[in-house]
Amino acid sequence: MIQIANARKRFGNVTAVDGVSFVAQDGAITGLLGPNGAGKTTTLRMLYAVMKPDSGEVRVDDVDAVATPQVAQARLGVLPDGFGLYPRLTAREHLDYFGALQGIESDRLAKRTEELLDLLDMRAIADRRTAGFSHGERTKVALARALVHDPQNVLLDEPTNGLDVMSTRAVRAIVRRLRDQGRCVLFSSHVMTEVSALCDSIVVITAGRVVAQGTPDELRHQTGCQNLEDAFVALTGLDRGVHE
Amino acid sequence: MSATRTLRQTLIVCRKELRDSLRDRRALWSILFSVVIGPVLIGFMMNKLADRQRDADLVRIPVVGMHRAPALVNWLNQQGGVHVVEGPVEAERAVREQREAVVVIVPDDFAERFRSSRPAPLQLVADSSRNDVRPSVQRVQILLQQYAAEISSLRLIMRGVSPAAVRPLAVEEIEVSTAQQRAAQILTFIPMFIMVAGFVGGMQIATDSTAGERERGSLEPLLVNPAPRVAFVAGKWMAATLAAIVSVCLTTVLCAQLTRLLRLEDMGIRLEIGPQHVGPILLAVGPMCLFTAALQAAVATLARSFKEAQTYMGVLILGPMLPGVMSALYPIGNAAWTYAIPMLGPYILLTDVLGGRVPDATAFLTSAGTCLLASAILIRITTGLFKSEHIIFGR
Repeated sequence: MIQIANARKRFGNVTAVDGVSFVAQDGAITGLLGPNGAGKTTTLRMLYAVMKPDSGEVRVDDVDAVATPQVAQARLGVLPDGFGLYPRLTAREHLDYFGALQGIESDRLAKRTEELLDLLDMRAIADRRTAGFSHGERTKVALARALVHDPQNVLLDEPTNGLDVMSTRAVRAIVRRLRDQGRCVLFSSHVMTEVSALCDSIVVITAGRVVAQGTPDELRHQTGCQNLEDAFVALTGLDRGVHE
Repeated sequence: MSATRTLRQTLIVCRKELRDSLRDRRALWSILFSVVIGPVLIGFMMNKLADRQRDADLVRIPVVGMHRAPALVNWLNQQGGVHVVEGPVEAERAVREQREAVVVIVPDDFAERFRSSRPAPLQLVADSSRNDVRPSVQRVQILLQQYAAEISSLRLIMRGVSPAAVRPLAVEEIEVSTAQQRAAQILTFIPMFIMVAGFVGGMQIATDSTAGERERGSLEPLLVNPAPRVAFVAGKWMAATLAAIVSVCLTTVLCAQLTRLLRLEDMGIRLEIGPQHVGPILLAVGPMCLFTAALQAAVATLARSFKEAQTYMGVLILGPMLPGVMSALYPIGNAAWTYAIPMLGPYILLTDVLGGRVPDATAFLTSAGTCLLASAILIRITTGLFKSEHIIFGR
């Protein structure tokens, strides 16, 4: 479970996150939805403890992520924005490196690696260097790397961005599977259809603030829109620019 | 418990960086180049020097109009290493076009003026702008002066005057810049090249694993792993240091082979780098590698991009070169305090070791101590930088 309360973050004169609060439950997929520049990535970075909020609280499974970031990080699997792979290492070596840093002993790591290679259907690319990988293949490596230590909480920053249909479906299948295993999955997106297809709960964020949260039905009800996309546009105020 | 975990994570990072850089072919070539260039340059210069020395010892003198001065030609041929040949028709052109180093012309009136004891003209055609043939030209000039001196002595004796009377001065030239000394001068570059190899060897890993890692976007996922920041910094630093030490060993081995190949004993120089030197050399330069790798990592982390980091490295490399260049200009003494300066201390130790003097333990300890202290401070600084969001996410 991931909790964030009244988190604020400023960069110079820009307030990127302005008092964000929400809870992502275990056994549920929570979508962090918002237009580009809404503060999604900054919010996620505070959740996975590479950024400290200026004020507010972040808890991962009741561990204070601000005070003890490493304890929180051990309970998190993270797919950051722009996967950040090593072009000269193979897919398998990526799992080895991060698994070892997580402190998994080598026997268990080898077993876990085999599991993930099967789960993500990446046997064919396991021992190739990632330099020439397609976008879909890179996503798989980054996802496998994020899951190597079998984390209870999984954070995905725009995981399906730029993926083709088949790869998108594969990622969705894995996300659902993680939910069904009772894990807490939080993923960000600026694509409405992506979120509506997958999420049990949606947090809409714009200009660094949470403007609505609830199930897809609740959001439709709240805005009086039949269509979730219309609801999203109404909530984020994106229509103002169009009408004015 | 936590300390052993941090140490284990440090080693994991170190192993990954070493593996990653071993696959970076361009980086490997650049390291190999910088390791080999020094010994190759020394070998080339030494060879050239030996050649030139041989050229001056064995001099071939083209003489135009040999038949007009048979006595002179005879005398020249009797001098050791001198071989007189018929000179080219257009002497000046031959010298200008560098076909001949020097040509002696005997004019028509030489014999007549020589016989009547008037100054007999001789023309020496040479190109003073050519450094490479200067020893040969000087040799010919000296030979002609010797011949003139002999003749004048004979003439004075014939006239009943002691030759000593017309020699108010007995100037004796003592050549300081012998080939030996010039060779020794070239060899003073060996410590510098070893130090530069230590610097360059670690440079690639130190920059690629910090500035490069950030630029590729892999720093953020790396830092999500539950390890203290010091483990990441120390692991990268350790990998860079190991690469630097390997470079030092390679250059040392190459220089050792070189000194054997060049037959320095023939030039009267005693310099051998043998297996017994490897330990002291590593003791002298190893601590410097710790320091330079830490410095490189700190500077590269601070740089805004990989390119900028590389630019800074180009400036930093002057560090290990400075003591070598300075010592060529004026001798650096080995007072106790000099060992406490990070680049200077290792340099002096290295020159001592290669010069056959084994410095005492205090000197080694002083140098290693300051290098270690400076490394620890730099790693602390870099760890601080790795905690800064400005640095991690770029500016």
